[in-house]
Amino acid sequence: MRRVLTALVCVWLAVGAAAEASAQGAPAALTILSRDGRRPLAITVINNQEYVAVDDLAAPFGTTAREAAGGLTITARGRTIIVTADQTVVSAAGRLVSLPAPALKRDNRWLVPVDFLPRALGVVTDTRLDWRRSSRLLVVGDLRVPRVVARIEAASAGTSLTFEISPVATAKVAAEGARILVQFDADAIDLLIPNIPPQPFLSAVTLAENGTSVQVVPGPRFGSYRASTMQPDAGSSRLTLELMPSATELAGAAAAATAPPAAPPPVDLRASLPPSPAGAIRTVVLDPGHGGDELGAQGPRGALEKDITLSVARRLRTLIESRLGIRVFLTREDDRTVPHDDRSAFANNHQADLFISIHANAAVRPNVKGAEVYYLSVERADAEARKRAEDAGVTLPALGGGTRAIDLILWETAQARYLEQSATLANAIEGSLRARVGMSARAIQQAPFRVLVGANMPAALVEVGYVSNPEQEQQLTSADYQARIAEALLDAIVKFRAQLERTAQ
Amino acid sequence: MSRRALIGVAAVLAAGVFGWIVMSALGRLLSTPAAPPPDVATEVPAVAPPATTEPAAGPRIKATLFFASADAQRLVGVQQDVPLAEGPVAQARALVTALLTSTPPDGLASTIPEGTALRGVYLSDQRELFVDLDETVRSKHRGGSTQELLTVYSLVNTLTVNLSTIAAVQILIDGREADTLAGHVDLRRPLRKNEALIAPSEPPQSPS
Repeated sequence: MRRVLTALVCVWLAVGAAAEASAQGAPAALTILSRDGRRPLAITVINNQEYVAVDDLAAPFGTTAREAAGGLTITARGRTIIVTADQTVVSAAGRLVSLPAPALKRDNRWLVPVDFLPRALGVVTDTRLDWRRSSRLLVVGDLRVPRVVARIEAASAGTSLTFEISPVATAKVAAEGARILVQFDADAIDLLIPNIPPQPFLSAVTLAENGTSVQVVPGPRFGSYRASTMQPDAGSSRLTLELMPSATELAGAAAAATAPPAAPPPVDLRASLPPSPAGAIRTVVLDPGHGGDELGAQGPRGALEKDITLSVARRLRTLIESRLGIRVFLTREDDRTVPHDDRSAFANNHQADLFISIHANAAVRPNVKGAEVYYLSVERADAEARKRAEDAGVTLPALGGGTRAIDLILWETAQARYLEQSATLANAIEGSLRARVGMSARAIQQAPFRVLVGANMPAALVEVGYVSNPEQEQQLTSADYQARIAEALLDAIVKFRAQLERTAQ
Repeated sequence: MSRRALIGVAAVLAAGVFGWIVMSALGRLLSTPAAPPPDVATEVPAVAPPATTEPAAGPRIKATLFFASADAQRLVGVQQDVPLAEGPVAQARALVTALLTSTPPDGLASTIPEGTALRGVYLSDQRELFVDLDETVRSKHRGGSTQELLTVYSLVNTLTVNLSTIAAVQILIDGREADTLAGHVDLRRPLRKNEALIAPSEPPQSPS
């Protein structure tokens, strides 16, 4: 049975976001991961929200439920959660907790949004319930479940497969028959694998049945591999597997030149380049705007903002990593829908020192062109921060008179603390872009942009150009122009870093 | 089972039901996205604006409506006649209806997707106005942060410039709180007047 379950888990993890996007038809279950192992939890999709049935929580969490007066009382570990049909607010051990969607009663079954688990059930059971939406894992308690993001860079002479591991976990690499097995030292791994087109050196990357190792299936031209690890900072580590051609092929190709000795198949796992020089910026998160169902702006000839932003972000990542040795993460590696909160949370979780959201613009007039840079508008963040300081919690009228305080966690004001640095960053970006691609009439501005609000680090949003302008549509989709934008943003990061280091001294 | 035990059970049940009623009342107070905000002072029934744009009857006031500038980069205030209405909520409704239906002067452009309907207007006791538009405003929006900013702030500025009693404006879509309109501007909170977006060459004149 356990083998069947883990096999199912592998399938879910592999289909990951694709399943989520098409969840309307056949919703993918989530996997509860605890000390006791893995266990599936069925999902029902209603109004684009993922729900779990309260009945199904009894076995994994030991809850009991009792219906009364149009509501439901759920008891776990002697404490109660009160749920009302069609209400987005529940009471968990006396505290009000808001949910992204209302609780529902359908066909005599009570359904609650998935967020009910971490927000309400976690509170009454005093257990950390960590919902990893993208990999569909619900991690119970303090398990070591590092997020492992795989990335593939193919070249004619080989393919490099990189695993970004956060938080840090060590990994052992070994050849096992025709496969390469990467075993992580963890209770489970939260693995994200991009779509892998057929390649000469790499056929497949899958999660192994034990849930803690990754199987790499080499392609037809594969001959040997080399593994290296790197730990750019305390928060994460990186493992790179270089998949190379066979010795005979190498010898053939290098016959004219002096043939380098081919690496023998079972190769060294070399520990580590030194960590990157301790500068003011160690990690950058780039956010390619839109994606998946969210196309963003569209050009007259059909160019899509979501494609341009991903392309520019990838180019910029390569530049930053190769020239500055700074670690770079993208909030999306491919064409998928990513909620705004997940984008800034991704940057926060990676403890990024810099967050740049990349977008392409549109205007009602086709002649408008040029780049623009935004940082969060002060007024709103200010007002919110002030309000929070005044209230220190929200009070509600209580039955029988008086008020009662409730705790609402506002992590929305995170960016307010960094406005000054964000303004410096935006200025640096504006200067570099002006020199290389030209700006619109409103070069640098402040706006209440959703994706910047929760970023807990200096952050800016860059509009790289107007895709609604026919000339710019053509430029924005060209490799040359994208490279110019990436170079400009690289310059800006260098300038910003220098400014930070100056002020730190 | 003893009589005492029965009384005990009854008391526990009664306490449970009472607790339940308290919780559900609180739940309602905390507002659902589908409903108007908790502290609604006045409410106008959700009716689409009339198709006829020339009612002519009744007194009219001069109001400043905001449209996209010729270069589609800023907002330009334009004085137009708008029906006079009783109270800030009805007047706000008249202003939004005018913004949705009137033709901008030559060179300027409307910022709101054609066919967008007004579903309702609500005012909270914090002087925040909630403008409930139908899904068209999102589904027909052509994207881009500049266009999104102009759409949002043509509404916010039209309401806050003409109605001094309104502190901020929050846009709802199909009766629900919206994350954004086209992926950029945070619509989860009421927004204040944005003067930086108003074209400097043509300052809007406030109606007196």
